[in-house]
Amino acid sequence: MTTITELAPPTEAETPRVPLRAALTWGLTLLTLGLCLIPLLLVVAISFGRKIEGAAWVWDLTLANYQRFFVGTLWPDEVTFLYLNQLGYSFWYAAIASVLAVLTALPFTLRLARLSRPAQSAWLVFLLASLTLSEVFIVMGWDILLSNNSGLPALFKSTGLTQWLKDTGWFEVLREWGLANPRNVKFKTSDFATILTLSYLVWPYAVILLYPALSRMDPALSEAARTMGAGNWTVLRTVILPSVRLPLFGTTLLLFVFLLGAYVAITVFADPSKHTTAVAIYQNVRGANLNAPFGATQAVILLVAAGICITLGHILNRWAAAR
Amino acid sequence: MAGLALKGTAKSFGGVRAVEAVDLTFAEGELTALLGPSGCGKTTLLRMIAGLEAPSQGAILLGADDITAEPAHKRRFGMVFQSFALFPHLSVRDNVAYSLTISGVAKAEAAATAERLLDLVRLSGYGDRRIGALSGGQRQRVAIARALAQEPQVFLLDEPMSALDAKLREEMQVELRLLQQRLGITTIVVTHDQREAMTMADQIVVMSNGRVEQVGPPQEIYHKPGNAFVAEFIGKANFFDGAAEAGGVRVAGTLLETETGFRAGSDVRVAIRPERISLEREPAENRLPAKVVFVRDLGPMREYHLETLLGPMVVEYALGENLNPLLAGQDTEVSLPRDAIHVFPREARMAAE
Repeated sequence: MTTITELAPPTEAETPRVPLRAALTWGLTLLTLGLCLIPLLLVVAISFGRKIEGAAWVWDLTLANYQRFFVGTLWPDEVTFLYLNQLGYSFWYAAIASVLAVLTALPFTLRLARLSRPAQSAWLVFLLASLTLSEVFIVMGWDILLSNNSGLPALFKSTGLTQWLKDTGWFEVLREWGLANPRNVKFKTSDFATILTLSYLVWPYAVILLYPALSRMDPALSEAARTMGAGNWTVLRTVILPSVRLPLFGTTLLLFVFLLGAYVAITVFADPSKHTTAVAIYQNVRGANLNAPFGATQAVILLVAAGICITLGHILNRWAAAR
Repeated sequence: MAGLALKGTAKSFGGVRAVEAVDLTFAEGELTALLGPSGCGKTTLLRMIAGLEAPSQGAILLGADDITAEPAHKRRFGMVFQSFALFPHLSVRDNVAYSLTISGVAKAEAAATAERLLDLVRLSGYGDRRIGALSGGQRQRVAIARALAQEPQVFLLDEPMSALDAKLREEMQVELRLLQQRLGITTIVVTHDQREAMTMADQIVVMSNGRVEQVGPPQEIYHKPGNAFVAEFIGKANFFDGAAEAGGVRVAGTLLETETGFRAGSDVRVAIRPERISLEREPAENRLPAKVVFVRDLGPMREYHLETLLGPMVVEYALGENLNPLLAGQDTEVSLPRDAIHVFPREARMAAE
């Protein structure tokens, strides 16, 4: 039954609330979209711009930058894949380093999750604190450690390890791998040093991202497997890894995307012929080339390629889950 | 299959003694319940048997073999965990077939065994389901089938009913006992529920504070409790503190005639089961005046809460027993049969606390 109270108009205090809340919601949505989209749209727009030789660049609507990226400026007379190669190295370094970081972080995090609460807290605080170190500091540290004159190569030489490597024949193997010159081992520049530093850079992230899933995992799952005849490796392979498949995949993907943008480690440790798209973008936008439209093109292509990778990874993950 | 024996098996965590040295024998094909309150060490004992915890001292023998140093995956005792610990990434069938799959049994054979076991636990047709799609009772059955797949010599269950509701728990207790009897497998169940232990076990091991308080068949544990802790933990009892005298125990100035075996003047604690106290004229032993203060009708039984010279007392009468119903406020008399009075040293009870 309808009462008089129900039919009465809303009071004065109630009426202005709804429009105010709606305005606030819309305002914040627009602000967020603006802050996210405007820089991105600007980069996309600039990627169609044109560089004026000897000057800056102008707005335009040309695909020349995209053509240059995929097949080179002289296409169709001549085809070059220089920039595609750089993109390939971006993916190569990011993929290897992210997988390595996750693979090494996994056993550590498994052990961490089984420590006492105070020990876990101490480790997590330490790892979080290590994130305050910038990429520049970390690379500087590894630069000193791996430098030919004062780092590990010098230690190898002074302790006689270099001579031992030469005597046992391993030195030649290292030379073939590009990790030694005729006199001593060398880590700069090398894929080894690049991947090692990149992995180190994201390793704390890997632990912190894996920790919640692993600490939530019921230890009885592993114990149940053990009572059914599973050894440590079988437990890891058949119980732990499938149970944390999604966090593992998510962590690797996140680190992979993060490492696509790595700059300092690549410039210090990678051979110039193996520099990545991120380095090339910087050189075009702020470095010696001063070709912002082409830098923007590379950024857009890197973004799209990363998006394709994430989508493919997602599809692969769903396919694996369905199986 | 073979019986299992613990010889002086103990476990400490740092300075904390979780399980005192125990000597126990689990007879082949029988079901033993480890019964006790939370934190009494029963799960630790079970985990030592499973190989999930290493004993600090003592030995574990399976038949004539010393398996103390054998890791869990070598012992391969089937175990059902409190949380069931089913693998969420596997189907019901793959969960049951897990032990067979990892030991290299052909896929078709493992699947056939899984189906047979699912049939055994009345879950035929559930093989393709995900674990998340099962109810608590169904999960428990899958956990049992999974633990049995490897045909274990010893079957261990850690509080297997604790995640189930009361009705399902009662059903599963009977079902599990029937299954165990059919398979004739040496089984050890950890529980804190005395009703569960009484329903299922051939032998009950009552534990408290890491110690074994009493070992025996359910009826013996109930009717002949070894100490005050057992008398209180298993079933209900009326407790009175008193002092031993020649021919009985004096409680609150009243002499209760019974066999004590204690030196006169010893501080003792008396326990009397509520269903052993009589409100009728016979037997006329240790007869005391009493006043009914409260009547609790539970359907199949009726509880009379009395005020007596000894203190408050509860008497139980089952439905159908020949007694004229009493009302609150009514005066009556109680008889305490001599053989219903259990006398324990008072210190032992305190130690158990």
